[in-house]
Amino acid sequence: FIILPPDMHFHMIIVAVFWFGFVDSRKIRGISSSYKRFFRERKSFLCIDGSKIIPFEQVNDDYCDCEDGSDEPGTSACPQGRFYCTNLGFRPHYIPSSRVNDGICDCCDASDEYNSHAHCQNACWNLGQRERAYVEGQMRTLDEGLQLKQQLIEEGVLLWREKQAQLRELQQVAEDLQTKLEERRSRKQEADRLKEQTPRPPEAGDGQNSTVTGTFKLLDSNKDGSITVDEVQAKVALVHDEERVLSEDEAVALLGGDHQMDLTTFQHTLWDILTNGGRVKVSALSNTFLFVFLSDLREKLAIDYGPDWEFLFLNSQCYKLKVYEYTYTLCPFNQVTQQSTAGTEVSLGRWGMWEGPPKNQYGRMVYENGEPCWQGGSRSTTVTLTCGTETALRSVKEPSKCQYIMDFQTPVACQPVLKQRGIHSEL
Amino acid sequence: MAPVLVLWLAMSLSGTWAVDKGNFKTCDQSAFCKRQRALKPGDSPYRALLETMELTNTRLTLQLINDNNKVRLLLELYRLQGNMTRVKINELKPLKPRFEVPDVLITEPSTEPLSLLSQDENGVVLSLGTESQRVIISARPFRLDIMEGPEVLMSLNSRGLLAFEHLRMRKDTSLLIHILAQWMISIFKEEEEKVDGMWEETFKSHSDSKPNGPSAISLDFSLPGVEHVYGIPEHADTLRLKTTDNGDPYRLYNLDVFQYELYNPMALYGAVPVMLAHKAQRTTGIFWLNAAETWVDISSNTAGKVCSSETPQTDVRWISESGIIDVFIMLGPTPKDVFSQYASLTGTQSFPPLAAVGYHQCRWNYNDQEDVASVDAGFDEHDIPYDYIWLDIEHTDGKRYFTWDSHKFASPKEMLQALEDKKRKMVAIVDPHIKVDSNYKIHNEIRNKGFYIKNKDGGDYEGWCWPGSAGYPDFTRPDMRAWWASMFAYDQYEGTAENLYTWNDMNEPSVFNGPEVTMHKDAVHGAWEHRDVHNLYGLYVQMATAEGQIQRSGGVERPFVLTRAFFAGSQRYGAVWTGDNAAEWDHLKVSIPMCLSLGLVGISFCGADVGGFFKSPSTELLVRWYQTGAYQPFFRAHAHLDTPRREPWLFGPENTALIRDVVRQRYTLLPYWYQQFYHAYRTGEPIMRPLWVEYPQDPATFALDDEFLIGKDLLVHPVTEEGARGVTAYLPGKDQVWFDVHTFQKHNGAQSLYIPVTMSSIPVFQRGGSIIPRKMRVRRSSSCMTHDPYTLYVALNLQRTAEGELYIDDGHTFNYEKKEFIHRRLSFAKNMLSSVNLATDAEFSTGSWIERIVILGASKPSKVTLKTADGQESQLEFDFDASMSVLTLRKPGVNAGLDWNVMLQ
Repeated sequence: FIILPPDMHFHMIIVAVFWFGFVDSRKIRGISSSYKRFFRERKSFLCIDGSKIIPFEQVNDDYCDCEDGSDEPGTSACPQGRFYCTNLGFRPHYIPSSRVNDGICDCCDASDEYNSHAHCQNACWNLGQRERAYVEGQMRTLDEGLQLKQQLIEEGVLLWREKQAQLRELQQVAEDLQTKLEERRSRKQEADRLKEQTPRPPEAGDGQNSTVTGTFKLLDSNKDGSITVDEVQAKVALVHDEERVLSEDEAVALLGGDHQMDLTTFQHTLWDILTNGGRVKVSALSNTFLFVFLSDLREKLAIDYGPDWEFLFLNSQCYKLKVYEYTYTLCPFNQVTQQSTAGTEVSLGRWGMWEGPPKNQYGRMVYENGEPCWQGGSRSTTVTLTCGTETALRSVKEPSKCQYIMDFQTPVACQPVLKQRGIHSEL
Repeated sequence: MAPVLVLWLAMSLSGTWAVDKGNFKTCDQSAFCKRQRALKPGDSPYRALLETMELTNTRLTLQLINDNNKVRLLLELYRLQGNMTRVKINELKPLKPRFEVPDVLITEPSTEPLSLLSQDENGVVLSLGTESQRVIISARPFRLDIMEGPEVLMSLNSRGLLAFEHLRMRKDTSLLIHILAQWMISIFKEEEEKVDGMWEETFKSHSDSKPNGPSAISLDFSLPGVEHVYGIPEHADTLRLKTTDNGDPYRLYNLDVFQYELYNPMALYGAVPVMLAHKAQRTTGIFWLNAAETWVDISSNTAGKVCSSETPQTDVRWISESGIIDVFIMLGPTPKDVFSQYASLTGTQSFPPLAAVGYHQCRWNYNDQEDVASVDAGFDEHDIPYDYIWLDIEHTDGKRYFTWDSHKFASPKEMLQALEDKKRKMVAIVDPHIKVDSNYKIHNEIRNKGFYIKNKDGGDYEGWCWPGSAGYPDFTRPDMRAWWASMFAYDQYEGTAENLYTWNDMNEPSVFNGPEVTMHKDAVHGAWEHRDVHNLYGLYVQMATAEGQIQRSGGVERPFVLTRAFFAGSQRYGAVWTGDNAAEWDHLKVSIPMCLSLGLVGISFCGADVGGFFKSPSTELLVRWYQTGAYQPFFRAHAHLDTPRREPWLFGPENTALIRDVVRQRYTLLPYWYQQFYHAYRTGEPIMRPLWVEYPQDPATFALDDEFLIGKDLLVHPVTEEGARGVTAYLPGKDQVWFDVHTFQKHNGAQSLYIPVTMSSIPVFQRGGSIIPRKMRVRRSSSCMTHDPYTLYVALNLQRTAEGELYIDDGHTFNYEKKEFIHRRLSFAKNMLSSVNLATDAEFSTGSWIERIVILGASKPSKVTLKTADGQESQLEFDFDASMSVLTLRKPGVNAGLDWNVMLQ
């Protein structure tokens, strides 16, 4: 039980008294059916906030009596008022009272311009049809998008596991290497110590603990079962100049004139070269590379790819869009760049973080610390993710200098919640 | 906007955010100023040759001779209608004609008879018109004193600083110079130039060839009893002008100053050579009609002295580089008399379309049509009204004005129609520098017609500006202006429609690679040098543009053109703004004295970039700037290209609400603002005015420039301090009361009132004794409010009376000139409020009616009776708030154009 102030009691009584006593004989403009009960015609009207009672003739008489604007739902008299567009055939909605009879058609049923020079047509049916078609299209996209998303989630999970496995494996290799390196170091120290006492014996190859497969695996950084030019360049070095990276030609030569090499071939060719104490060897620096690779992988796996790793597949992709004279490239979780027709490339930001609103945390990504700006600060890009059946960059804008906004469409941005909220029910 | 090149230079050289003063001349670096300023007060070498005096009914002429060089001058003196005296001094026989400023005076001023009172060998005494005013011309040395009764109002050449550098042959062209001695002469010449810069002058890397040699003029004016002088805009300085003894004089030379510094006498974008002098008993004015570079020195015998027994006196001295002395002495005696005197010479503020008095949303730049549509939608979404959205230079095809970027603005007519559908409008920029490009129609036509300004060697002058290499049309030519105007026709300026208006920027003119970022003085405009016409250029650009807008509608629609550069008379062509300011609290503060100074010299339609152009404002500063700008005549937000977005809804719901609220306050007051514009158009009185204009005898008001009046009835003290908890406002007027427009609280006049403030506060007071009409139904744009009803705010004074006006017309055509308007007097006396016709010969009908009458300072009546023109009487419901003594009359409902009265009993 609520204790009301005495005059409030009185108001309530009046409301109660008149509640059933009168029929709705006059059409009250600008109200929804749920508000009709406040406007049953009777002698007086109680402002909906209960602040004042006025004669009923003063409802919609183009003068604002109620503080809350409730006495003028159908005119422009109240600054706080709102007008209800019924919009049969489309979507009903409220407009501010200030848009009633302002000469601009706001309600598609033209009900807001009942006393103006504007010639408004009832456009609700057309709008409704268009809207329905649009919504249907959206729903189809959403359905399709959600299916695709499911696939991508499944793939994402697999990819995640695979990457985790790779990480574990690499970690193992790294540990092995570390041990080996330490062993070698201590051996070298031992040798140095012995060297002072005995004549220096010919240096033994490192091969004595290495197996053919072990070395192969070490060289095969991406674990695809074959060694490529890149991998050779990364981990094979000249004996007398370990710092220098082999040229592509040199690497190709080591691969027997080919661009890649499998284990079998390796065993008979490169393995010999490496173990026979020739001019090349497996670089000691390769473990630096390995650690870089490892930390890179760790870093990548530390990124939030969504609850089901559904965004993981974007990791190694790049998407381009040409806008006037510029080509924009979005490499998700990595960077955004802009290339002019003249060819110069400018960084518009490196991966920063997810920055969606609480309801849709994965709705927006931010890329920061791009190329510095002319007037201080640096370029940054905000990417909004929207639901679509394919993954593509849809638009790029620069509303303020050096602040870019991208619209990025992808099935993984499709959200079932959207479907539940579907606009069908409102039509 | 400011030049990119200079910007880049400033950034790379200094890395700071201040003007690079080294880019602009000091008096010492301006040869003629240095020469003239070197002359010290003393006996004038000039002597009046009384025997040469000729006096007709309307004109006195007299020769003056310089006893040092025997060069003779011709003095002309006129008594002008409306209590003014005009003094012209030229060489009697100049080597070639000297420039006299055309197109600034609206007509040849009407004269009044002069009569000789007495004459002897020492001088003559003339009677000025019917009043007790006399001019005493003293012969040796020459001086002029204007007297009223025993009182000297103003003296000319009393300090002997009249100087007139006569035109002369260059020494090395004389036949007497022997070729054999050429080398000696050249040494001599160099010496002369080093000392004087008379025949050539170099500033930074720019050389001024000065083919006409020295031509400066100077004259001093003494103002007995005066301690306050105002005017001579544009300077970023206090309202009350400072003495210049210890620094540079105030400079008048239209310049594009990048990141201008505050509180100094440096020249800015515009120049109005008009100074007002005020003391409690009298206001006078000096209008120095000269368009060349001008410097004004001010000194005062009481400046800096706390207590002085001397009679205060202010001495001023004007120095111009070329032309003649043509000075109008406006003798008041009241401030409003001076406004009307000046208006009779140069015209009044043009009456703008009502929409232009609304809110303007600008940014460098709205990027494309989609951007425009989304900003437009943002205003609707957040229920903030606006009337104009603006496009800066990026909307063009490569800075070729009169064109559109074909990608970003592919269908401008559709864009304009979409705005029109919401009864909104657009402004697109058209600058006067024209890209030199043989594929550009505008350039080709100007070149083929020979309309470009020429360089000293006779070729088309070319400078560097936004489009790269650019030519500058010679707007001093009437045929060029006519052609330019014709370019605004809908079939010439493609993609335009009736709701597109124009913004003229960079019209000082700005030349990025020119001396002081402007045009070389030896550039040629027909018979004249740029030196002679410089300060006029911007006025002509706006004049031609406004004319183009009038013509495109067949003379029906009022134009709206914003300009950055201006001169005396620019008020006739539209609005001005204070140029490229910065998002700093001091810039917000200085916007008040800057616009007040402009208003005093006729230019009422003034505003500053809300938010500040350069840099990014804090949210607090932005909100405070909106609150200030909403109460200044031209209300436009603008932002530099490099700043983050700052549309009103980007700072959180709370700040959006604060900005919405104050923009809506502006819109409710549009009827009052519009009426002020009409009044300014009719009388030349400023809209935004210093308090001393209304309270000329109250010395406490003389230096106030942190508060101001709109018309005479609203007093505004904006909050311009960061973190302010309160402001102290001076409420003027003994026996006056002021009502806080938000709370209706009543305060007494002639007191300094401390007002606590929050972020939503903008202290505004309505004068007791006034009636202000408002429209309380704030809609999307001013045009949407055309037919809306009025609420009258009647603020009673201590005598329980009040007066006000109501002006209504169609809001956009020139039909008001054909007497199609409603102008009514509203007055409250003896408990009766009545509306009577002020313009019985005018006719207009309105659908607007009187919705509500709010009487402040009222007592509770027992009955309120409305009586309409047909004699019908009816009772009005009312509501009385006893705590604030506010009586609200419900829905009189009478048409706003009719006679009616309301009786309180």
